[in-house]
Amino acid sequence: MNKNLFFACSVIVAGLLGYATYLALKVAPTEATMGDVQRIFYCHVPAAMTGFTMFFVNFLASVVYLWKRSARADALAVSAAEVGVVFCTVVLITGPIWARYAWGKWWVWDMRLTTTLVLWLLYLSYLVMRRSSEAGSTAVMAAALAVFAFLDVPIVYMANRWFRTNHPQPMIGTSSLDPQMAHVLYINMLAFFLFGCLIYWFRYGLERTAQKVAAIHVRRAGVGTTAMMALPAMFFLQFQPPPPHHVDPHVYLYGAYFAAWTIYFLYLLLLSNRLFKLKKEEAELH
Amino acid sequence: MTTPGMSLSIAKLTANNVRKDLRLEWRSRDVLNSMLFFAGLVVIIFSFTVEPTAEESRRIAGGLIWIAFLFSTTMALNQSWARELRNGVLDAYRVAPAPPEAMFLGKCLANFLFVLMLECLMAPLFVIFYNLSAVGPAWQLVIIFLLGTWALVVNGTFFAVMSIRTRSRELMLPLLLLPVSIPAVVSMVTATTLVLSGEASPAAQIKLLAVYCVVYTTACLLLFETVLNAE
Repeated sequence: MNKNLFFACSVIVAGLLGYATYLALKVAPTEATMGDVQRIFYCHVPAAMTGFTMFFVNFLASVVYLWKRSARADALAVSAAEVGVVFCTVVLITGPIWARYAWGKWWVWDMRLTTTLVLWLLYLSYLVMRRSSEAGSTAVMAAALAVFAFLDVPIVYMANRWFRTNHPQPMIGTSSLDPQMAHVLYINMLAFFLFGCLIYWFRYGLERTAQKVAAIHVRRAGVGTTAMMALPAMFFLQFQPPPPHHVDPHVYLYGAYFAAWTIYFLYLLLLSNRLFKLKKEEAELH
Repeated sequence: MTTPGMSLSIAKLTANNVRKDLRLEWRSRDVLNSMLFFAGLVVIIFSFTVEPTAEESRRIAGGLIWIAFLFSTTMALNQSWARELRNGVLDAYRVAPAPPEAMFLGKCLANFLFVLMLECLMAPLFVIFYNLSAVGPAWQLVIIFLLGTWALVVNGTFFAVMSIRTRSRELMLPLLLLPVSIPAVVSMVTATTLVLSGEASPAAQIKLLAVYCVVYTTACLLLFETVLNAE
């Protein structure tokens, strides 16, 4: 990994992200029916686009791996799946926050929501499999699983047509989107996409280092378990008496942005921690 | 493959594999016994928890039936490869000149037969415990069950051979199989419910199930050798 280039890119992306978020929160016009809550859209849609692109990259890299058996392709595949899952998590968290205000419910079994959830589960199973398989066969089995997961996407989409849909139709490229909103959305999409690529680059470099020192890195299950224990709290949130429209919409807006950035930030911290450990291990080996 | 005695066709090899699996199962009855008992338990526990009327049970039975079959299928699939691993059959197969697809197809068909047997035996139990009677044409259920079972078994057999080679073995199979099977499960549950309630024709769901079966049977056959030889 070229350090100077990476640093320069990080600075540019950070600037762009800041500008995009400023545009989304302050400059973009307020939507007529939903008010400020609609601004969640500017971090929800770019995250979805970046996440789905990463899953596609994962498929391509897996096919290349099955064909060429290069460790590079495997590193590209696993990095894409992991970054994709992180962005997909952001989609699945910011979406319900918006839905709680707009629909009054955190979750409905709708076509797009279900498809995204299944996609998230599929790639999570891919990551779980990678962690549990024997070192030698991981890459081949993961690549096969990636092909299966990708084949599933259109079928999942077809099967979910039987759920009724509430989700707003995609408006990108149609005339129904206000030009000023479109402008802000495009800048946000660009910013988050580049952000995704940057994390991907970082993650890929990490994976290559990991491959080189053949380090086995097992993520601490404790963090996941603790997070899971907090989940039943959702029940209390669900049955709280004040109907959502009496709550200031900004609570939802900033809540969604806070949740999204917490996830991105935690993931970056996790990656830095892994890098730190790897570096230490590498130094010990020399 | 040039000598006439050696040139066994894939069909013949597959048939041999199926015969071997059936004979093994007939002698040990590991899979069928545990599957039957498990599925029976699921049915009984469900009826304790929901206690439905005839009207309600039409609405929910599709889901219950398939959950019971899905979980018992997972048990059968783990068993079927565990047996081969213990006796070193996988390694033997890797060095044998026979095409691995024959082994895969044989295993799939054998598992398919086991699960079909289970379904035939469990169906009366469901009818009795849940007061089931189909409002729509009941013969469509046969198509749905054949396609649905194949959809579960073909992917299940493939993922089972992957999962027995991971560290967590049996635990891994449901984690891999369930996410990929979601569209198939949605289709078969919706189709079964539509037939039971007679509300609409399940043609669209049956078509999607058929597409799912074709796509994944092809993918499994193409990738099986790769996964079998993964080291």
